[in-house]
Amino acid sequence: MKSTEIYSSTTHTWIVLGRDSQKSEKIIDTNQYLIKSNDEAIILDPGGIELFSSMLASLLKHVKLEQITTLFASHQDPDIISSLGLWDKALPHATLHAPWLWEGFIRHFGMDNIQYQSIKDEGGEIKIGKAALKFIPAHYLHSSGNFNVYDPKAKILMSGDIGAALEKNEPPMFVEDFASHIKHMEYFHRRWMPSNRAKNNWVARIRELEVDMMAPQHGRIFKGEMVQEFLEWFARLDVGSASD
Amino acid sequence: MYHQNDATLAIKNVVRVANIIANLDTILQEAKNLSLTAKNARVVALRAGDSAFGFKPITNFIDEFSELTIKTTKSISMLSSNLFEIALSVVRYSDFQLRLNIAAQYTEHTDIHHLQQQGRLEFIRTVKQLESAVMHLEGYFEDILKQMRSAEYIAVTSRVEASNAGEFSESLQSVSNFIAGAAKNIKHAINENLKEISLLKGALR
Ligand SMILES: [Fe+2]
Ligand SMILES: [Fe+2]
Repeated sequence: MKSTEIYSSTTHTWIVLGRDSQKSEKIIDTNQYLIKSNDEAIILDPGGIELFSSMLASLLKHVKLEQITTLFASHQDPDIISSLGLWDKALPHATLHAPWLWEGFIRHFGMDNIQYQSIKDEGGEIKIGKAALKFIPAHYLHSSGNFNVYDPKAKILMSGDIGAALEKNEPPMFVEDFASHIKHMEYFHRRWMPSNRAKNNWVARIRELEVDMMAPQHGRIFKGEMVQEFLEWFARLDVGSASD
Repeated sequence: MYHQNDATLAIKNVVRVANIIANLDTILQEAKNLSLTAKNARVVALRAGDSAFGFKPITNFIDEFSELTIKTTKSISMLSSNLFEIALSVVRYSDFQLRLNIAAQYTEHTDIHHLQQQGRLEFIRTVKQLESAVMHLEGYFEDILKQMRSAEYIAVTSRVEASNAGEFSESLQSVSNFIAGAAKNIKHAINENLKEISLLKGALR
């Protein structure tokens, strides 16, 4: 699994882990994010069972195990958090922040040691060392209980499945040309996202934030101008395609 | 102690525990039938009066051991859900071990070795827990088996008593037959479970 630093300051660092060459082609490629600050670290959307081994090995290149105090799950999907039962053994003292809506469901992945910290529908805040992070509501995009993570200092928005692209092989880390990227995103957003109303509310909410980088859970990261291009494109897109 | 097959073996153990639990239902049902039969037989024996004089203590006795069997079966039920939990935790730890072994192929980081060691200890600890729960279970089943042996003995004795009970002979005879049948069914279910247990013990060794 590859890991790339996408932000670094005196207070904290963002690392994206993904493009796992070991994984089977039948499972969707995912980005996992590690934010570390001082002696603390959080993993955003730790990923599926199948990824656990290479995730663990890659993480240890950047942090000590006991540094990882916190996990975050944007929603309940298997590609997001089915590794929980294994993290539960590796990080018995950790806390998982996840939507309150999914607690009874996510616990099915096996959780004897890790603490479940529910995120209310309105969102919330958390500190990891010196990094202050915000949980931004992104309900129905695509999951009915769903959050993004916003870092006001780094100006990074971890957008979960929003902005996800399905590309074959090993695509580069960043979107280079928006127009040619659309074909990798369009079906995903039209089919997986159920609600135009939720989508438009989300776009309005994000427009109020300063976002230099939008980091989705699948595919390339949007940087600078590309973030605005995405918001404009997404605002125009008609979603919920299977209901027609 | 640990090898690749542990995860598969661990799942098989869960299946064995599930089989054992499924058999418990049969045992409990038959034991309840026995207790009911004992109560009915006592009424018949009472009506038969002097002619079924020898039958009354027998019904008391059936009542007693069927209650005992029900009680033991309920204790087993309690132990079984615990057993399920432990068997599942063995599955989880063996899966954890498996994933760690893969991670160890990617990196020689000491934290991985540490986790492997810790995981192995936890794995052994849960296997030991499972072993001791299984031993307990075996003890309970052997208790019931003993109860069933006396049930069969009573069935024979009661048949003799029933034949002396004049007009009630036939209905008491059927009570004896019923006891013998229930005892046989329970013994069969228990022997099946003891077989599963010995496989389970073998797998844990
Ligand atoms: Fe998802
Ligand atoms: Fe996803």
